[in-house]
Amino acid sequence: MSLVAIAEKDLQDTVRSRGMLILVALFSLLVAVFAAVFRPGGPSGQFATEVLLSFAVGPFLVTTLVPLVGVVVGYNAVSGERESGSLKLLLSLPHSRADVVFGKVAGRGAALSLAVFTGFLLPAVVLIGLSQFGQLSTFNAGAYLGYTVFAAVLGVVFVAIAVGCSAAAATQRQALIGGVSIYVLFVLLWGAITGQFLGAAGDAGLIDPLPVSQQQISVFLQVANPITGVELLSNAFLGEQLFSGEGVNQQISAVSMLVFWTIAPPLAGLWRFDGDDL
Amino acid sequence: MTAIELRGVTKEFADVTAVRDLDLTVEDGEVYGFLGPNGAGKSTTIDMVLDLVRPTEGTIRVLGQDVASDGVAIRQRTGVLPDGFSVYDRLSGRQHVEFAIKSKEADDDPDALLDRVGILEDADRKAGGYSKGMRQRLVLAMALVGDPDLLILDEPSSGLDPAGAKEMREIVQSEADRGATVFFSSHILEQVDAVCDRVGILREGELVAEDSVEGLREAVGGEETLEIAVGDADADATDAIRDLDGVTRVDRDGDTLVVSCADDAKTRVIAALEDAGVVVRDFHTREASLEDLFLAYTEGDAPGIDGGGGDSEGGEDDGGSGDAVGTEEVVR
Repeated sequence: MSLVAIAEKDLQDTVRSRGMLILVALFSLLVAVFAAVFRPGGPSGQFATEVLLSFAVGPFLVTTLVPLVGVVVGYNAVSGERESGSLKLLLSLPHSRADVVFGKVAGRGAALSLAVFTGFLLPAVVLIGLSQFGQLSTFNAGAYLGYTVFAAVLGVVFVAIAVGCSAAAATQRQALIGGVSIYVLFVLLWGAITGQFLGAAGDAGLIDPLPVSQQQISVFLQVANPITGVELLSNAFLGEQLFSGEGVNQQISAVSMLVFWTIAPPLAGLWRFDGDDL
Repeated sequence: MTAIELRGVTKEFADVTAVRDLDLTVEDGEVYGFLGPNGAGKSTTIDMVLDLVRPTEGTIRVLGQDVASDGVAIRQRTGVLPDGFSVYDRLSGRQHVEFAIKSKEADDDPDALLDRVGILEDADRKAGGYSKGMRQRLVLAMALVGDPDLLILDEPSSGLDPAGAKEMREIVQSEADRGATVFFSSHILEQVDAVCDRVGILREGELVAEDSVEGLREAVGGEETLEIAVGDADADATDAIRDLDGVTRVDRDGDTLVVSCADDAKTRVIAALEDAGVVVRDFHTREASLEDLFLAYTEGDAPGIDGGGGDSEGGEDDGGSGDAVGTEEVVR
């Protein structure tokens, strides 16, 4: 399997970069800081894992830092090799350009997941240790681990978007601009842009004929942002409402949008990349 | 079967036509040297054969398959040493070769390949710390994975010292002996002469000559320069050979006679000297140098160089830089 060979090579290559070590250290440090801050003092204090995750780690760490890291890990995946010339080595071997793009998504996605898991699990070991010694009354390891999976999924989605952008870019510079734009769009401007869009569409009378309400479209557009999607799913998970209860429709749209964002940008990037002279 | 077949291939970039209506055929099992000055379109042609660059017009088939649609299948049976590549700085030499083996689904021993190209001792070092020559060797090792039917080597000797270039030629030769087709480009001519069955010379995107090295030499002139060290060169001696059939020019340079003559006139020249009682101490021939040949095709308006003038000048500074580049000296 050509794609697997590329993914494996890319994972080997990426985990050896200094950036990965910094990343793991940063995650560990930040999670540990939040854990320390949110730990109500004393052995009898209630330590709510869910609270730590959904009110501290979630909004401050996962939804801002993980997308950034995904973009950083992915934006030079193809364009970097193209500019340095190692892409020639890759395409001299029996790999198609599609293998290259999707192999990169898999390899870098795996590298980022590894960083997220390591970075989250190092503090978890400490937290588990503290709860063993009675310093913490409860530590919900299952919730913590599950949440880590959601964080990794979000990272992988952003890796996929950034790799797609990287494949479409002819130069590193273009890829960098693309990466920054992705981050700004999804993290900072999504609500404003979709709001404007919805307002304009409503004013133009495009929504009334549709069999859905403006409210439904607005919710869908929010969930279409992978960050909101993952937030929705992880909160449902922590509230033990995942794929049950009232929000199940929203959750399904969130999942489908995550799948969309993982596949469509690399495909679009491949379309450009496949037709290009290298 | 033909290993590489280009038909009417043209490649236009935004501001320049790099390759113009090129027809080129490399037969199965031959060693083909692809020559031309920098910027002649060699790398663009090779990039098109590798499907890195798409032709504006024309078709390219490699190992009987179309490069545009069957690239992966072709590269499964092809080993490539590209031009202007870079390695993965953080991966070791062995990891590079292992990656190539995995990619080709081959079962080679990485160490055996690394040993063959002479970098086994550095196999565990990160390739980022390799010299240019070691990188070249590493990628050659990757190209040899899976005993490919076709080897495409773009400027294989660049970055190698003379000993490394010689090893490269030996590997090319042994791959050819195994039955592989070898297609390689070069702007250094002495490499080509030693190993190639056939040579194509590209100039401004067009193939201006294609033949064996011998054939090209004949087409350009077929004249050779004979340098004869004699005991006592007098006027009688030069007169004796000046009138021989096939001799176009005789110069005396101290105790050395420099004779421009046709290939088949050499023995008659020696015999005539001996008949005239001149002691022949030593003699050797200088063939029309490959450099002259190359320049004739790549710079001249038409094939055909005057062997006499240029060669006798070359003879005077024997051992100088001009000689080292392209002259083949044969002691007979």
